[in-house]
Amino acid sequence: MRSQWFRRKGEFEQEMNEEMRFHFEQQVAANIASGMTPEEARRRAALQFGAVDSVKESCREERRGFWLETVWSNIRYGLRMMRRDPGFTLVVVLTLALGIGANSAVFSAIDAILLRPLPFPNGDQLMRISQYNPKVKSPQSFVAPVRLENWNRMNSTFQAISGYYLEDVSETSGALPEKLTQALVAPRFLQVWGVAPALGRDFAPEEEHFGGPDAAIISDRFWRQRFHGDPNALGKKLRFGKWSYSIVGIMPASFDFPARDVDFWSVSAPDAPFAQSRDSTWFTVIGRLKRGVTLAQARANLATVQTQLGKQYPKPDADLAVDVQPLKETTVGGVRGSLWILFGSVSLLLLIACTNIVALLLARASQREHEISVRFSLGASRAAIMGQLLTEVFVLAVTGAVLGLLIAGAASKVFRTLAANLPRVEEIHLDARIVLYSLACSVAATLVCGLIPAVRGARRSIFGSLAHSSVAQVSARNPIQWLLVGVQVALAVTLLAGAGLLFRSFQALGHVSPGFDTTHVLTFHVSGSWGETADMKGLTQRIDRTLDSLRNLPGVEGTATAAVLPGVPGENQGEIKIEEGQADPNRKIVAENRYVSPSYFAAMQIPLLAGEACRERPDGYDVLVNRSFANTYLGDSLAGGHHVEVLGQTFTPKGEIRGIVGDARELGLNREPSPTLYWCVSAPDPDPYYLVRTHGAPMLLADTIREEVHRIEPARSVFDITPLEEHLDDAFSENRLRMVLLGFFAATAVSLACVGLYGTLSYSVTVRRREVGLRLALGAMRGQIVRHFLLQGLGVSLLGCIAGCGLAVAFAQVLSGMLYGVSATDAATLSGVVLIVLAVATVACLAPAIRAARVEPMQVLRNE
Amino acid sequence: MTQTGADILQGTLDLLVLKTLALGPMHGWGIAQRIQQVSREVLQVQQGSLYPALYRLERKGSIQAEWGASQNNRRAKYYSLTKAGQEQLAKEQADWERLSTAVALILQRV
Repeated sequence: MRSQWFRRKGEFEQEMNEEMRFHFEQQVAANIASGMTPEEARRRAALQFGAVDSVKESCREERRGFWLETVWSNIRYGLRMMRRDPGFTLVVVLTLALGIGANSAVFSAIDAILLRPLPFPNGDQLMRISQYNPKVKSPQSFVAPVRLENWNRMNSTFQAISGYYLEDVSETSGALPEKLTQALVAPRFLQVWGVAPALGRDFAPEEEHFGGPDAAIISDRFWRQRFHGDPNALGKKLRFGKWSYSIVGIMPASFDFPARDVDFWSVSAPDAPFAQSRDSTWFTVIGRLKRGVTLAQARANLATVQTQLGKQYPKPDADLAVDVQPLKETTVGGVRGSLWILFGSVSLLLLIACTNIVALLLARASQREHEISVRFSLGASRAAIMGQLLTEVFVLAVTGAVLGLLIAGAASKVFRTLAANLPRVEEIHLDARIVLYSLACSVAATLVCGLIPAVRGARRSIFGSLAHSSVAQVSARNPIQWLLVGVQVALAVTLLAGAGLLFRSFQALGHVSPGFDTTHVLTFHVSGSWGETADMKGLTQRIDRTLDSLRNLPGVEGTATAAVLPGVPGENQGEIKIEEGQADPNRKIVAENRYVSPSYFAAMQIPLLAGEACRERPDGYDVLVNRSFANTYLGDSLAGGHHVEVLGQTFTPKGEIRGIVGDARELGLNREPSPTLYWCVSAPDPDPYYLVRTHGAPMLLADTIREEVHRIEPARSVFDITPLEEHLDDAFSENRLRMVLLGFFAATAVSLACVGLYGTLSYSVTVRRREVGLRLALGAMRGQIVRHFLLQGLGVSLLGCIAGCGLAVAFAQVLSGMLYGVSATDAATLSGVVLIVLAVATVACLAPAIRAARVEPMQVLRNE
Repeated sequence: MTQTGADILQGTLDLLVLKTLALGPMHGWGIAQRIQQVSREVLQVQQGSLYPALYRLERKGSIQAEWGASQNNRRAKYYSLTKAGQEQLAKEQADWERLSTAVALILQRV
């Protein structure tokens, strides 16, 4: 194909030459016929013919396929230019790669999380439905099974409504019990999602009744892990103590709702006796709208339904209202703002990178005036030259984009590990859309970067092409470019200061005293099920028995249970009412409520400051308060136990305060201890966190603990065995992510400022060559020249730094919520940052300044 | 025709070339000569305009080219009108007549 094309091109040239020659000869013949001598005839004919090459060039333009050829030869020329100046190419390509790569990475995240619909058929019909009490400011909560069935039966806007909740169970058909995550679902679950099992079938009606056969649908991941993908897994049984479930279906690999680690789904029968109370709420409810129904219609419809239920069952339905939200919104709505801010930042970064490249290109264009003049004289049109210059930039941009895609791929992976709890993060991947987006970015970058240099470079100078004519440009100050450089330096200072402050906060957190001993504590779970809550006494006995036997193990210094881990962020605030004494109506008593076993304080080494330790009682609860609470709300009167209760909860525990313990940073190491009530109960739910204080390294006792629990509770599995310190570390993963991101932005901003300084100073040096030559000829020292340019660059940098300091203080105010142990105006950080930036600026300015001093005055001045 | 204001005259040049070729196939030199002669030396077509126009018309399909022998037995490229070219000629001739009538009217009036 290529050779044919080449042959045709060769043919074309040959024919055109022959045609021109024929025309010429005819003209000569005509001239001779009109009486001239042969030499005169030829001369006249040549004159009359005009510039042959120009004619040929015009003819070539009219040829079919000319444009394609031009573009191709431009691209080849661009590649050659790239090879000729590797330093320039490297800087530009790397800058663009960074800018476009970061942009593509963030765009891939936005595309997967925000733009694409949920990965289900007609995903925008999926809604999340919840109940809430509008009079109490309670957050939207779970729904009772009977209410769910009422809604499903009485509505007119939904195809189906279903619900789910998660539980951990021990599967006992193996040697040791294995923990599985079970999703208990209401009927019609798969109908709402619109996904059918990949193998097997959905639940049958008899399996959806209490007392019917127990069926399970397993997830693809569990299927491959336990059964190695064997289709004969259908029909096998999973055992949970005395219950066994038959496997009736296997879900496809892509289905991981409601959670990524669900092992199997089973039905929670609506007619089960324990599911009949309207007060016991545990379902997370989802529904699928009918086709064509709008959100407003669904909301109005369910509101009507709930009103009817309120009349039918005044308690509690009359107090309840229904909320309907699109499922995608509830899943991703929280991160939308952050993601768009991130996108804005990387786009800004790309824009700044492009302005840098404009400066570099302008510097290079002024060096190529000679070459371009020659092209003009050969007959090229202005458009052709502009096209060629733009194509050169395009080649650079595409190379940068390709490299940028590689960077984006790596960045996506890093993003996914760092931000693992972002919603839908597993759907982020690079595909054709992202590649197209990168291409679009490179085209945009080409236009932004290349247009001005192309227009400037394709000027025909008035003074004749082949002589240098920089008369008009002795003092080109280009203030806009220097302003841009100053802005970049300011931005670099700001971002670097922010990153520095976050880093120092992170360090300071390492030194804070948490109020409890975080080392040598092992945490784990022992599987329990919600069914056990029917017999709270038995549950408490079981947990106490476990704690006691664990305490007797060698190497164990203390055991306890807690509903939530200490030091891990997670609030449970409630309003407290103290029965004794005058209740101050203006002052609400608000405190954290923590549910811990009596041995908690010894295990976590929280000191008891006054009063007595707490015990478990058959009726009522013992309560210990921390010092903050005592100071804030109790004054000095601890004598005579106070009775407290928590307001606004369905089950309101009443407790008696027995003593005061020391403050502990239960809400997280970076927050001051808040007033806290500790309710002494070892079984707050069937599956609390178990805490074991070990003598040596925590993980060494993991196997011993597992065996001991298996000895006393053979049907239960032990899982999630981790040292407490690891949990505390994880709690700061978001902080760490922010710090890393900000650090990355800061590093990029500093390199951009560096490139910008270098480019602008280079351009300035190139344009002022004549002036420098003049000065040198008039007796200036080379050192003076270097100093002059160096000071020019550093001057702008200094101004940028000052502006940046102001911006940094403002930026730190924005960050102040995340800072710990450093003030927003920390002088040490700011001065360190300014020093770093100035040092980098000096390095960037040195090369052009030295190049300026190497100008040969004779050479420069001769060209006038 | 000189080379200023090339765009307007480019369309007119196409018309003249097509009209010239309506009389029979001709090579580039011949077309230039004929236009010069018939217009009584007023219109002198330069090679820089003529040949690009010929190539463009060939690309558009209005004329087709064939190599043959000239009067003095040299190899020359002869152009001839295609059917599409005939239609284009008719259309452009009508347009030109309408345009020149309109211009004449205005010049008479004012």
